[in-house]
Amino acid sequence: MTLEAQSNNFIALADIALQNDDLQHAIGEGTRTAYYRRLDTMFAHSDEHGESMRAQAAEAKRRALRELPDLLEKAERNLKTNGYQVEWAVDAAQANQLVLDIARRHGVQTVTKSKSMLTEELGTNAVMEAAGLSVVETDLGEYIIQLAGETPSHIVGPVMHKTKAEIRDVFVRELGMTPTDSAEEMVAFARRMLREDFLRADMGISGGNFVIAETGSIGLVMNEGNGRMCTSLPRVHVALIGIEKLVDTVEDYATLTQVLPSSSTGQKMTVYTNILNGPGRAEEGDGPKQAYVILVDNGRTDIYATKYAEVLSCIRCGACQNACPVYRSMGGHAYGWVYGGPIGAVLTPLFIGLENATPLPHASSLCGSCKQVCPVDIDLPGMLLELRWDQVRAGESKAGWDAAMKMWAIGMTSPTRYALGGKAARAGQAVMGDYMPGPLGNWSKHRDFPEFAPKSFRQLWKERSPSRNRSSTTRERLA
Amino acid sequence: MTARETILGKLRAARRPFGEVQPIAERRRMIPRQDLSSQERLQQFIDEAEAVGCFVYQLDENAAFEQIMELIGGDHSVLSWDESQMPFTGLSEMLESLGVSTARHDSGDVRVGVTGVNAALAATGSLVLESGAGRHRNVSLLPDVHIALMRAEHILPDLEAWQEAQKSAGYPAFRQSSNTTLITGPSKTADIAHQLVKGAHGPREVHVIILE
Repeated sequence: MTLEAQSNNFIALADIALQNDDLQHAIGEGTRTAYYRRLDTMFAHSDEHGESMRAQAAEAKRRALRELPDLLEKAERNLKTNGYQVEWAVDAAQANQLVLDIARRHGVQTVTKSKSMLTEELGTNAVMEAAGLSVVETDLGEYIIQLAGETPSHIVGPVMHKTKAEIRDVFVRELGMTPTDSAEEMVAFARRMLREDFLRADMGISGGNFVIAETGSIGLVMNEGNGRMCTSLPRVHVALIGIEKLVDTVEDYATLTQVLPSSSTGQKMTVYTNILNGPGRAEEGDGPKQAYVILVDNGRTDIYATKYAEVLSCIRCGACQNACPVYRSMGGHAYGWVYGGPIGAVLTPLFIGLENATPLPHASSLCGSCKQVCPVDIDLPGMLLELRWDQVRAGESKAGWDAAMKMWAIGMTSPTRYALGGKAARAGQAVMGDYMPGPLGNWSKHRDFPEFAPKSFRQLWKERSPSRNRSSTTRERLA
Repeated sequence: MTARETILGKLRAARRPFGEVQPIAERRRMIPRQDLSSQERLQQFIDEAEAVGCFVYQLDENAAFEQIMELIGGDHSVLSWDESQMPFTGLSEMLESLGVSTARHDSGDVRVGVTGVNAALAATGSLVLESGAGRHRNVSLLPDVHIALMRAEHILPDLEAWQEAQKSAGYPAFRQSSNTTLITGPSKTADIAHQLVKGAHGPREVHVIILE
């Protein structure tokens, strides 16, 4: 592990985040906007249809995981047919060494990178820089983060925690931009700077949202177009992809590549839905000359063999982060490693060890929103609970208890968060019946959990006094 | 043992997960398909493309050429797909006669790029561009302004319909083209304070000309 985990400092990091007004504002706005956009798009036709699409997406991922070893072999064959050179890496050290070897083999000096959470896990940038390569992140958010020397705080919006003024200051300080308050001017400035990098880069590194085993293709989604640049302009392209990104057929891909942006940013399709099929063909006249796929394990095969295998279905849309009352109040950095929010609270202990992330299974009020919004229906609250059991069995629960109390306090101190938890509980009961996640799990195992009132006191209060009802205007403002 | 053997070996040694997951009985389309006439389908495509920020025109060849010249403005060079790949004959000749040359496809500072399309998707307002001989990837990527020339016949109902058509043809967009890109609107970002800004890295304007 290259990135030093700070997850055991969760409580202190959470306190720091909770006292940062700018962060509170930025994360609150970002997550709220995405949360409502998702609702509008996923359920544009009907709740029933949206739920059916979630089930279809979940089935495609579960089926691919069930057949994973066979699909990896099938994908390897078809990737090779498409001209890819396929490599395998057990851990971060192997993956990074493969990247360095490829760079040396092709005389690479400059590298442009499109957004990849996997390379955050692997610490690829630091390794390449230590080897003397120049590495530029090209997703605008990642670019800002790299300039500021930080890590992404959200899976989809890596710089969600920063205000416009903070971003301006980064550009002025690091690149000498003429100060401006206009987001358009900042984007235009970054475009000019990065265009130079794109045109002179020797190698482009990307991740992959999907690998289609049937055809040997990589699916990438993006809005800016930087991922197209990184995979089209340099003479060498390297895609680093976790082994869990496999899907069997193009038909499955067609479902998932639409469910992903609908769930993430509320777009029906991202601006660029990019399908990569190897190096540029002889007759084409552009595209990379050499194209590599590195299939990375880095802990995934260990998770595959456990009761947590379902978490490998994750398509990294960030919806659970946008919905989580804990994430919404502190952002992703408090989680202390690569992934924040509910998915991070599950993945981090699984990847770096429960003892190195003791508070994270408790970094949740277990309101159930994360499962409810998950496009592939991962039982995140169930897993958080299961991780707590693992801790109890291993005798590591003191820090966890402190974190649980902290989360309870956060849930209780904000009316919106309190309401969100209540709403999720009502919806959750319809799905889960008497099974109650969280501290109520034991209790409800042996008792019938009383039904929630269909409407909360807060809702009834609002309905009976229309003048106090601000929810519709809030919604319009966010639309 | 190689990394490959280690990974596959560990996966095969594990108990296979999700044995209980049932196949989906009736697959759905992400956007339920409406029963539309071809005229209505065309209108759906226009509405969706405009909703994501494209400029859409329905023009005959003469008017289309004028529109293209207006977008090119006073520029002396453009990026372009080969004419054989576009539903518009005589375009390069006409451009040349007006002193506009076709630039090398890797020129990073040309303002306008002209392409055809391989298909278009009505439900999402998307353009499908498959790389190939005379169909350079960069033309729809590097310039500020992307002009896409198409005909109503290119329009399919949705992504699933395109996938089905691809399947019956043996997936050429996944096997013969090194890169197929579905373009839904101009390049954009919301990374700075959640404010939508067009033209992050790719074209900030996408003009779709549907030739009559």
